[in-house]
Amino acid sequence: MSRGEERWPGLRRVFRLPLGQRGVARDVDEELRFHLEERIEELLAGGMPRAQAEAEVRHRFGDMGRIGAELASIDRGTERHRARAEWLGDLGRDMRYAVRGMRARPLVATIIIVTLALGIGANTAIFSVVYSVLLRPLPYAHADRLIQLRERNGPKDTQGMVVTAGNLATWEQRARGFAMFGAYTYGGFTLTGVGNAQSVSALRASASYWKTLYIPPVLGRYFNASEDRAGAPHVVVLSHAFWESTFGGDPHVLGRALTLSGTPYTVIGVAPAAYELGLQARDLWVPLALPPSALTNHGDHELTVVGMLREGVSQEQAVADLTRIEMALAARYPHSYFDGHIIATPLRDWVVGSVRPLLLILLGAVGLVLLIACANVTSLLLARAASREKEMAIRRALGAGGGRLVTQMLAESLLLAIVGAVVGLGVAWAGVRFLVMRSPLGGPRLHGAAINGPVLAFTAGLAVLCGIIFGVYPALGAARVALQQTLREGWRESGGVVRVRFRAALVVGEVALALVLLVGAGLLVRSAIRLQHVPPGFDPHNLLVVRTGGMPEVRYPSDASVLDAYRRINTAVAALPGVRSAALVNLIPIGTSGTDCSVRPEGTAPDEGSTVVANYRSATGNYFATMGIPLLAGRTFTDADAADAPGVVVINRDLGHRLFGDANPVGKRVHPCGDTTSAGLEVVGVIGDVRANGLDAPIRDEMYFPNTQLVRRGMTLVVRGDVRAATLTPAIRRIVARADPLLAVSAITMDDIIGRTLAPSRFSSTLLLLLGATGLTLAVVGIYGVIAYLVAQRTREIGIRMALGADSRRVLAMVVREGLVLAALGVAIGLAVAWVATRWLASLLYGVSAHDPLSFAVAGAILLLVALAASWVPARRATQVDPTLALRSE
Amino acid sequence: MRPRDLDLLRGTLDLLILKTLSWGPMHGLAVLRWIEQTTHERLQIEEGALYPALHRLERKGWLGARWGFTENNRKAKYYRLTPAGRKALAAELSKWSRYTEAMQLVISAEVAQ
Repeated sequence: MSRGEERWPGLRRVFRLPLGQRGVARDVDEELRFHLEERIEELLAGGMPRAQAEAEVRHRFGDMGRIGAELASIDRGTERHRARAEWLGDLGRDMRYAVRGMRARPLVATIIIVTLALGIGANTAIFSVVYSVLLRPLPYAHADRLIQLRERNGPKDTQGMVVTAGNLATWEQRARGFAMFGAYTYGGFTLTGVGNAQSVSALRASASYWKTLYIPPVLGRYFNASEDRAGAPHVVVLSHAFWESTFGGDPHVLGRALTLSGTPYTVIGVAPAAYELGLQARDLWVPLALPPSALTNHGDHELTVVGMLREGVSQEQAVADLTRIEMALAARYPHSYFDGHIIATPLRDWVVGSVRPLLLILLGAVGLVLLIACANVTSLLLARAASREKEMAIRRALGAGGGRLVTQMLAESLLLAIVGAVVGLGVAWAGVRFLVMRSPLGGPRLHGAAINGPVLAFTAGLAVLCGIIFGVYPALGAARVALQQTLREGWRESGGVVRVRFRAALVVGEVALALVLLVGAGLLVRSAIRLQHVPPGFDPHNLLVVRTGGMPEVRYPSDASVLDAYRRINTAVAALPGVRSAALVNLIPIGTSGTDCSVRPEGTAPDEGSTVVANYRSATGNYFATMGIPLLAGRTFTDADAADAPGVVVINRDLGHRLFGDANPVGKRVHPCGDTTSAGLEVVGVIGDVRANGLDAPIRDEMYFPNTQLVRRGMTLVVRGDVRAATLTPAIRRIVARADPLLAVSAITMDDIIGRTLAPSRFSSTLLLLLGATGLTLAVVGIYGVIAYLVAQRTREIGIRMALGADSRRVLAMVVREGLVLAALGVAIGLAVAWVATRWLASLLYGVSAHDPLSFAVAGAILLLVALAASWVPARRATQVDPTLALRSE
Repeated sequence: MRPRDLDLLRGTLDLLILKTLSWGPMHGLAVLRWIEQTTHERLQIEEGALYPALHRLERKGWLGARWGFTENNRKAKYYRLTPAGRKALAAELSKWSRYTEAMQLVISAEVAQ
């Protein structure tokens, strides 16, 4: 019929080639022009004059412009559809091809997938923790407007102090940048009437606390301003965990009466689990209910304050305004431990600040492991590409475009990465469980860690990124294959030299990255060991710490009755078989930090700058001997230091130095804690320094007052055992129960307390060591792979050398040298990188420099040794080459 | 009767085009002429409607298109039925015959009265 028709059959592509937008318009024009011209010619053939014929045809056709535009619009849709269909078709074909490729070499595919699963899985696990702890917004309404506010003590103070009630009252009246302030402080009670007596930790919170940090309650309501007032009916809000553990999640708990340290309280609400109460309080909230006198107290710093910025006000503006107010207060109330500056921290930074460095370092470390894994996979794919060069050359010769081959190879690497990521999700799930259960980071934010949407998105992104990273070089290489040369060369490989050089570069990179990991792990391990061996200043072994709940005023109205009760308990415990000695202190070192107050030597005025802030505790005279804290000079407390006797104090060596220089402090007098008596207190003894606030914390200045002169209602028994300390617990419990069945008791050994404080450093060093070992293993596999490949390629050369009389030692040395050169190069680069990178570790290190030479040297040596071993194996094989076989192999 | 008065439903036009192309690939004008000749000029297709119909059928995947040359060696866009188009034609045809049958029944009934 027409020539056009003959062109149809036999061609695979029924559709036209893709046109593009301009092509569409041209096509439509051309089609319509053909139509018009044919029509005009028809009319001309019938004898019509040209002008008339043209007019007639146009008239008959209708609105050319509109119809043309309609056609073009339809065609553009067709084009889009077609492009999508072709893309999908190609993708499907590539994927089928990729699956076939994987199944043809199952071992390589399995190795790649397992490597990636570990790498991506570890990254996903750490990321899910990072997301949950660092990135996820706080659960409170308007969380982005919450700022923690502290008062600065002096120019050197970076932490700030909690706020005085009087200053907070002034802020509430005058601060314009903040919509409201929530305030709280910690408190403890003995809960009776629900099972055994138990000590509970509480947050004493203002009514505005609930508005500032708002999450809807699970049950009931929170307390309001009329309940947050001295003398108001006592109400309590339970934490979710406490509600479940103590009340079994009873839905009818509202209205229930509780006795807290002898005072009746009514349950009015249950808060959701998302509330974080801090480490010391996790059970319940009671109203702060400050007495009216507190509003004029500008000296006692006891309230933790969170401010909510007014809408549209920046933190800078609000804090600047608050600083003006604070400056005025500082001028009016000197010597009150605040200098007029405000230390403001966004609440989220404050909540997660302490774990951020560790988490980011872990994230960095798993990132490095993944990079090493990717390098290994690239290397494997390159080796595979070499064996498929022939196939690629033939496909190109048959007309496959370079672009098609690249996308096809990339499809293969993407498929590997995706399968690796899917398997990796299993690894991640296990990893998250491990981190949540075992890590000492703690806190509800960690417990929220899970494989959720954002984490899955991260994993998917990571998989695609990996697929591209390790796929792109082999893919480009495959497309670049020198067609002519390959086909001419027969079945031998051609691009080998370039490729081997690239794989060698990969090995160098892997070694460098593994070295960075190992140095980091080494530093953390050394730091953990150092920390473990810090002398605490006392003997922590066989020491039992028994905390008792506070003795309520209801049953112990006077200080004397409290002292008497504790004395009787202490005497009974000391008389137990297996107990060497027993003593009392209000706050145990390391487990709890002491309280701070100022102290100045006699003969100085409060504002002379000789004032020192020291940590103080209340203790019995035999406390120091029981703990094993050495008495350096003077004496400890005796029975003569009774409540009505002249005031005495024991200080530690550090404080003695600070107050009196080299002079002997014993017999000197001091004015501690706002003491205004003319006589002051006599320093009767000097004891050794103790790591009172934790092994990694600096030595503090310390004061001890006799418990008779500084009476505390909640004391802790320290019991030195002749037998294993923990075995004494039941007997001690019985003694306390006999003395007062309503007094709560909790016991723990000092070794356990110290173990807990060491846990974070042990955990991070173990984890980094694990990651370092993984990186090392991957690097070894990489070195081995490249050296083995080199040996295989040079079988012929080696054969000739051996045939010509080279002895096997020379061959061995030659091959091993190649491996060692790569490793040495990697070690050199890695040392340089680690030198810079370990800076980030500095905040996690204790007693070890970030540039600790031993860690660097050991890591370098380990890598060189394993590189030696990894090259040795293929080198041995090279020496066993049979020259005649090698020569025939071509 | 002016065939132009015949209001061709779009579906009808699609059916005519599919049926015509079932004889083999043709360009747009040829489709037009074929229909006119076959119906002895009784059915005249509006040119302004034909091309959009052709392009829409191509969009649906029922027609394929490519450039070819006429016997006078002029470049023209040729359409042909795709396998999907062939299936669609069969479906349209059976729908059409059911429709006309029903019409016929109604009309004959009126005549018999």
